[in-house]
Amino acid sequence: MQNTKGLALEARLSAYLDGEVSDAESRELENLVARNDEARLVLEMLKAGNTFGDKAFEDFLHDPVPLSLVRRIKQGPGINPKAERVVKAAPRPPRARFWPRALAAAIVLLIVGGATGFIIGKTGNDGAPPASLTTARTWLDDIAAYHRIYSRQTEHLVEVPAEEGAKIEPWLAASVGVNFALPDLKDEGLTFEGARLLVAVGKPVAQLIYRNDEGNVFAICFLKGKPGAPEGVMAESIRDDIAMISWQKAGAAYVVVGPSADANLHTLAETVSTSI
Amino acid sequence: MRPAAESSEFRRNLVGVLPRLRRFAMTLTRNAADADDLVQEACERAITRHHLWNGEGRLESWIYAMTRNLWIDEIRKRKVRGGAGTIDVSEQDALSVEASAEKAIYANQLQKMVLSMPEGLASVFLLVNVEGHSYREAADILKIPIGTVMSRLSAARMRFAAMITETTERRA
Repeated sequence: MQNTKGLALEARLSAYLDGEVSDAESRELENLVARNDEARLVLEMLKAGNTFGDKAFEDFLHDPVPLSLVRRIKQGPGINPKAERVVKAAPRPPRARFWPRALAAAIVLLIVGGATGFIIGKTGNDGAPPASLTTARTWLDDIAAYHRIYSRQTEHLVEVPAEEGAKIEPWLAASVGVNFALPDLKDEGLTFEGARLLVAVGKPVAQLIYRNDEGNVFAICFLKGKPGAPEGVMAESIRDDIAMISWQKAGAAYVVVGPSADANLHTLAETVSTSI
Repeated sequence: MRPAAESSEFRRNLVGVLPRLRRFAMTLTRNAADADDLVQEACERAITRHHLWNGEGRLESWIYAMTRNLWIDEIRKRKVRGGAGTIDVSEQDALSVEASAEKAIYANQLQKMVLSMPEGLASVFLLVNVEGHSYREAADILKIPIGTVMSRLSAARMRFAAMITETTERRA
């Protein structure tokens, strides 16, 4: 527990929010908030700041981590030394005056109630989020979300099991509009488990699901159309614990999905691209 | 566990924390290119020193502290290269790096807002509010006093609150 007595009000209330003050100090601050408008306002601003900041930081996790780095880590020591770059340190910028802005913020918060409205608008389901604060959701975002859920299914991993393999090709080809051959990936250590039909960015997507000896789930997904990348180029991305390698070929987009900890995903994608 | 298997498991765990490590690095460097370099260097060092990781606590805390140290070293080197001479240790937390518009090209406006915050605020907010580290843990990772953690955290929260208002005004 921290003793915050003597610190600025916002620092004390901030520590109170985190449960980092003693019971006695917590009661003191609760009493202060109950009888002091300024304290109550600061507390509300701190809470609003928390919510906004959480949302902002969540967005960072959507950035892809360079798969080359992942592979180097997984394959052992000897990561290539970074290319040394020299950047001159900038002169320290003049410190922005904070309290006048915070006070202005408080007034606007009181009058407009914008903070709460904004947060609700950002997180609720009652309307489209503001375009300026969101990035367009791609089919790969949807695939990653699906994979994260399905790969944890133990009994119902697939919609159509591998035993009905003969039905899978015509079913998915007709549903998605992409002719394909079911890749045999035994040499890659993967067993075909079955298939699903998904929807990503409003389009039907075929998903072929495989599992390795360690129980890790891998998927091949494809859809008709042109979601963006030039044909033939393999693009790599990481979404938390999931790695994806995507490419386009003959009017269809493909992606191989697997655990980010797998070092051979690129090889697998190359095998799939030539056999599917 | 055999050393090779131990190393392999460590590397797998390291991959698991990469997105969060990169996010933490972004709060230090405030631009993606430097963050990626820093992450790479931190991973290299973590792998070569993984035998020093005792397996207790959070792996990311250990790596975050290493990353922070590397960044402070980098800032010091840049200062020296830039002709400012040697840097006193006591000045380290006050050092600043360029976060110009040219370098800080990000697709997401929220990220820009975070990275535009005064140095030191975003890291503390991330560690405590987003990732649930205690004040003590955050202070240890960043090598700053707990009082500084408290003041930076409250300042970060108030900044974010002000950003809401700015955003609301822009939309109005």
